[in-house]
Amino acid sequence: MTLTTDERWDLIEKISHKVVTFGKFEHTLKDALGELTVKSLTGIPIAIAVLYGFWSIFSSFAGTLCTDGFFVKLFDGHFLPWMQSIFPGKGGWFYYIFVGDPAADNCFEAFGVLTSGLFVAIGVVLPAIFIFYLMMALLEDVGYMPRLAVLIDTIFHKIGLHGYAIVPSILALGCNVPAVTATRILETKKQRFIMMTLLAIFIPCGAQLGIMQEVIPESIGIVLLYLIFGYFIFGFILNKLISGKSPEILIDVPPYQKPLWNNISRKLRMRLVGFLKTAVPFVLFGCAIVNILYLTGTIDWLAKILTPLLTGWFGVPGETVGPLIAAFLRKDLAVAQLSAIEMSKYQMITSVVLVSIYFPCVATFVMLLKEGWENLLGSLAVLVTVIFLYGGLINLIWTLLGVQ
Amino acid sequence: MKERIGIVYFKILGIVTLIFGITDLIVTIGGNDFSWGVLEISSDMFRGGWGGLIVISAGLFYLSSLKNFLEIHQLSKALMASILIWILAGTDIFVRITESIPGGEGGPWFNSLEGFLSAYIPPYPPVIFLLPFSLVILFFVGKRKKA
Repeated sequence: MTLTTDERWDLIEKISHKVVTFGKFEHTLKDALGELTVKSLTGIPIAIAVLYGFWSIFSSFAGTLCTDGFFVKLFDGHFLPWMQSIFPGKGGWFYYIFVGDPAADNCFEAFGVLTSGLFVAIGVVLPAIFIFYLMMALLEDVGYMPRLAVLIDTIFHKIGLHGYAIVPSILALGCNVPAVTATRILETKKQRFIMMTLLAIFIPCGAQLGIMQEVIPESIGIVLLYLIFGYFIFGFILNKLISGKSPEILIDVPPYQKPLWNNISRKLRMRLVGFLKTAVPFVLFGCAIVNILYLTGTIDWLAKILTPLLTGWFGVPGETVGPLIAAFLRKDLAVAQLSAIEMSKYQMITSVVLVSIYFPCVATFVMLLKEGWENLLGSLAVLVTVIFLYGGLINLIWTLLGVQ
Repeated sequence: MKERIGIVYFKILGIVTLIFGITDLIVTIGGNDFSWGVLEISSDMFRGGWGGLIVISAGLFYLSSLKNFLEIHQLSKALMASILIWILAGTDIFVRITESIPGGEGGPWFNSLEGFLSAYIPPYPPVIFLLPFSLVILFFVGKRKKA
């Protein structure tokens, strides 16, 4: 005998009435607050306020206090001149790879492994990642994350996912690598594929956000808006195109509680160590590879070949080919490189969006491969389509607005 | 009696909060910062636009909590309105702190005492003025806990 879903629920209700003793439940203030955060009418303004606080603290701590306040001064004013003066062989290729441009007066322009590489990794990315993971751990410990999952469940169903997709989505804002692993909380292959593809393409990592905050603070809102729109538009399309199930879930929502410092510090330490192990070598390695490609003339050659495509279809200068190659190694590095290229504000926005949606960084690439080569190939096919469609569309929007 | 005082207090606070929120949005749409005495409203899309929306929500939460004010669900709305204001005011104070510590471009590593203190002088955004008034909710929450 097969039961329908309704019949199963009826049966569950009958059994639970027989075996469960119901006591008197009194609402506490915590319960009432919890209810407010999951109802859409009240929950959405609260979610906006939480994200507002999150972003405000993220940008003022990482950008204003750490990077602009101390690290720029340390690296540009002391470390760069010191490296330029003590490193031997000025003008040679070894010097160019490790220290970068000898005439540069700031670490964004020098682009050496030991100058820009260390500055990006320690001076920009580390404070951004630290504050991001600290606030993330706080929200998890307080009990807000499951409520956000419930609140956003309906919207995520439109793109074939469910509320818990918020976990990999928000983790990806820190780093895509643990986020790819976190997609395992989704039940079906279809859901995991959609989630992995969307996060690899449309979610900028904390490092990238940190550097965007540093390089294009006035345009970051527009870039993020483009990425959010892309996330939902292409999620909707993928949901329609890919066969498979998107089941409902039952989420256990714990009561709000005081965060425990032990939990938070342990999570923070674990995530920071994981991030540093993955990111720092790739930033330094990325700097070296890009410099070698510049020295051997490969980037100039590629720029010449790809200029018609870059300027004609995407509306960005041919020189962006260098950052696009660097983006495969580290996207934060690529955005830093973009800042040294002369272009209009709108070309900069398009370039940053392109760097974001272009190929996942190599660490994410490896994680996607671990999850199965079919997933990786599928994601790459979607990615190539998205770059051309979305990149061209953004250029078209600027052209129609008459600002390109 | 306490409920009556709470209703009148949060009705006034709700209306003032709502007016501040709407003004935030109008100033943002207008595109020019607004300054009046010790009050300053930013036209920045993030602080004025999104911030304005949150202040409006806080105002509406206060006003919707008035009927049967001390009932747990109604009180939670007023508490949530205050939490929204605390988030906004807290982040604003945090921004000031982060700006006041470093010595600035070309200056020493740390700010001078004068420079540090000058970061905290007015003008202030509306939420800073709302902050002390929003703390009154703690009195009602405490009273309820005792009861």
